[in-house]
Amino acid sequence: MKHVVVDPVTRIEGHLRVEVQVDEASGKVQDAISSGTAWRGLELVMNDRDPRDAWAYIQRICGVCTTAHALASLRAVEDALGITIPKNAHYIRSIMAASQTIQDHVIHFYHLHALDWVSPLEALKADPIATAHLQSVVLQNYKLPFTGPAKIDTEAYPKEFPQAAPEYFDTFKKKIQAIVESGQLGIFAAQWWDHPDYQLLPPEVHLLAVTHYLEMLDKQREIVIPHVILGGKNPHPHYMVGGMPCSISLDDGNAPLNTARLNIVDRAINTTRSLVNNFYLPDVLAIGALYVQKGYVDGGGLSKERVLGFGDYPDEPFSGASDGSYFKNQLIRCNGVVENFGKGVAQAVYTELKSEDITSPEVLTEGVEHAWYEYPGHKSDESLHPWDGITSAKFAGPKEGTETDWKALNEQGKYSWLKTPKWRGKLCEVGPLARYIIIYTKAKKGVLGEPTWAEKMILDQIDAVSKVLKLQPEVWMPTMVGRTAVRALEAQVNSEMSRYFFDKLIANIKSGDTKVANTDKWDPKTWPKEAKGVGLYEAPRGALSHWIVIKNGKTANYQAIVPTTWNACPRDDKAGHGAYEQAMMDTKVKIPDKPLEIVKVVRSFDPCMACATHLYNAKGEKIKVVTTDPYTGTHVEE
Amino acid sequence: MDKRESMWDVYLRKGISRRSFLKGCAALTAMMGLSTDMLSEVVEAAEAKPLPVVIWLHGHECTGCDESFLRSASPLASDVVLNNIDLEYSHVLSAGSGEPFEAHLEETIQKYAGQYILAVEGAVSTKDNGIYCMTGGKPFVQTLQRVAKGAAAVIAYGTCATSGGIQAANPNPTGSSGISHFIGDKPLVNVPGCPPIPEVMTGVIMHVALFGKLPPLDGDGRPKQFYGNRIHDTCYRRPFFDAGLFAESYDDKGSKAGWCLYKLGCRGPETYNSCGNMRWYQGMSYPIQSGAPCIGCSNAHFWDEAPFSKRLPEYGPLGDIDKIGAGLAVATGVGVVAHGALSTIQKKKRQEAEQAEHDEKQVKK
Repeated sequence: MKHVVVDPVTRIEGHLRVEVQVDEASGKVQDAISSGTAWRGLELVMNDRDPRDAWAYIQRICGVCTTAHALASLRAVEDALGITIPKNAHYIRSIMAASQTIQDHVIHFYHLHALDWVSPLEALKADPIATAHLQSVVLQNYKLPFTGPAKIDTEAYPKEFPQAAPEYFDTFKKKIQAIVESGQLGIFAAQWWDHPDYQLLPPEVHLLAVTHYLEMLDKQREIVIPHVILGGKNPHPHYMVGGMPCSISLDDGNAPLNTARLNIVDRAINTTRSLVNNFYLPDVLAIGALYVQKGYVDGGGLSKERVLGFGDYPDEPFSGASDGSYFKNQLIRCNGVVENFGKGVAQAVYTELKSEDITSPEVLTEGVEHAWYEYPGHKSDESLHPWDGITSAKFAGPKEGTETDWKALNEQGKYSWLKTPKWRGKLCEVGPLARYIIIYTKAKKGVLGEPTWAEKMILDQIDAVSKVLKLQPEVWMPTMVGRTAVRALEAQVNSEMSRYFFDKLIANIKSGDTKVANTDKWDPKTWPKEAKGVGLYEAPRGALSHWIVIKNGKTANYQAIVPTTWNACPRDDKAGHGAYEQAMMDTKVKIPDKPLEIVKVVRSFDPCMACATHLYNAKGEKIKVVTTDPYTGTHVEE
Repeated sequence: MDKRESMWDVYLRKGISRRSFLKGCAALTAMMGLSTDMLSEVVEAAEAKPLPVVIWLHGHECTGCDESFLRSASPLASDVVLNNIDLEYSHVLSAGSGEPFEAHLEETIQKYAGQYILAVEGAVSTKDNGIYCMTGGKPFVQTLQRVAKGAAAVIAYGTCATSGGIQAANPNPTGSSGISHFIGDKPLVNVPGCPPIPEVMTGVIMHVALFGKLPPLDGDGRPKQFYGNRIHDTCYRRPFFDAGLFAESYDDKGSKAGWCLYKLGCRGPETYNSCGNMRWYQGMSYPIQSGAPCIGCSNAHFWDEAPFSKRLPEYGPLGDIDKIGAGLAVATGVGVVAHGALSTIQKKKRQEAEQAEHDEKQVKK
């Protein structure tokens, strides 16, 4: 048995450490540890702040899935205060959510994940002529033709299209060659390039993918142009409680949003659609198909047993999640849990998640058995609903090494800054794959009803990919490849979602409605003395929930359960391992000293550790204070 | 990995013509806000100086600064990381991970001792020996101190690195602060913002790459070319402020017309940044242009200068303007007068700061 540590796991957001016990003879991972190694305490920072500012603070949980936390936070505050935002604001936020999801997915595949699949060194063996031919074949075989119902189509022809000229690939090959020969590998340094998995794909696939890696490095920025117009910047665009700050006026040249500005958003949506349909999706499917053909259908882990979603994209403005209106008109109704999908749809069990489940103290809870926290006054294995959440940090050193020099973490004890979230006492995987499994299972079980256009697109995509792979969805979806492929499918749905809501926005403005903000309850004097709210959002990495308690106009309690906390959480003695740990234990490692398969399967979740490792409300806990007086500088008070 | 190349070497090796090289230099000159008579100096710098090795460390952060860096349009991200710097260590972009990656960091520190640029994103967590921010099994604060020792200069990217950022906001649960106390006496460039503007981030590193020295800094260690102006003074809505035309509430007539957002809490009058002149996405927009008041994200402790909806004098050095006798009808007038006084105070403070400014720091080569 060999103990293998990867720390830091790079090409992710934040600080993650994994440890695995590998049986060297079989390559089987007997045990795995996933540890979030940092926390920042942002929920404590939220206390006593103005709830109208909450989105700005909590958005800083993460700059990779920037906007995700702002949107969930706005929904929580608006739920608490009973604010329904205007139609235009809802459509604008939906465009921002969709463009965020796509940009996040694109940057994940090309810049965070691709170098686990392809290598610049292998690309050097490629024939540029054969690569050009391959590009044509990829476009012929792996483009998916699905579109949404949007009627306005301002684009004459797709402006973003992969080049398939041998000269083009030759240029990139020479560029890579020059970098390799210079010895200055820069970002390509220190990877296990000699790992046998880099031999799975032909050299031409490597050259094509590395070329697109570089192209997308410069192109991804255009996907979030809607944020720059509608929210003023990206990362971390601006919002307001009650709607959007970007007022619309077709009479004013200085207006935040007028025809000229809308045209910039429209152009970006068109660009995005081409980038997804012509680059991202075909590239992922081509690579995924080769992997699946070679028998790589492992790494599914917990997704075979249990996945969870909240559903999203309400078609029209809603009054909140607490009163259930959030669930009534969703375009993607993945609000529920699917168990045992890995055994086939017939044996899978679907349980709907309703608004009363969200606020019930029994359904969604968090434990700290193996997290560096304690619940004073409670048993060590007790779980608490986030409303009653306590944070009392209780760091315990590693199994081997010291507190500030870890050799091996203690899987028997506490080993992560992440808590362990549970649904009815059980652990769940969340994310694009979870969303797709839930929609597919609901449809097959006849509980979906008439699919919305987005759900129909999802079902058509799953069907098309199953035909390409010649495998049933329950075989290819809950795998490492499936997790990565579904993310690309979801980007296509989201690119149509942007178009769809842009259409609605134009139609609504055309009808004479230019309102973007509901300011009826802007003044805290209009608020009740005490209010509670929940904001749900299907973030790029999965089901996200924010809770707020407002007392006397101020934030009295702020909570969030984040997708990466669901997926990367430490184990629970009763419920077993979380999604990262299970996925690692469902993966074979060829060379324990070069655990490429481990980082690859972990990256298939698109880890976002800063999201996962922040602190829950510690009531009255004494803490060390750092004075941040602008005139006297920063001092730590011991 | 013995040879270190200049930008011109790279152009030669990649078969790029002298003409394209000069064109690239001209674009850079413009991008860095330098006058065209600086072109010859830019060309000379690009020809002579080797590619700077960059090590990029992450503390308590959200990775929004990396994302912003990647949004840069001139130079493009690919051009920066493949042609203009040698980015040897980055948790976001580097292929490697785990043990070989940490070994590579140590090799790089030794091989380029005294020569590399250290870019830092994120705050330093100091409480309880730094155990709230661990990487590679060690506290980030230790790694930062170790890597800073051999650096030629340090760039603090984002408000977390310059002054602690959001995790250092009251009550600062992890004892976080900016990096300046942990890098010894190394020359430091502060690039605040949450995040900073993409082209400001790449512009700072291009300046170092080309001129072999840090850009001219103000008293707070910020590059003057990017932080020399208040947003208020470069804002396209300034004429409305001067004319007394304000948005009074979100989505009112003034909001639609694009009038001044001062009364909605805009922090433009106290914030030094390039949002007004460079803007985001090469002039496309900035929060104010999109109707949102500035929250002052490049100010040291802006998270504790809230609520953001309160307009400036209410929390500023002049006290609560609404409590200075006057009735509501004249409150705006008082606000504007107070704003003028505030500007004078800020100008004076800045002049004092500049007097104390050290001589331009040279990057040790």
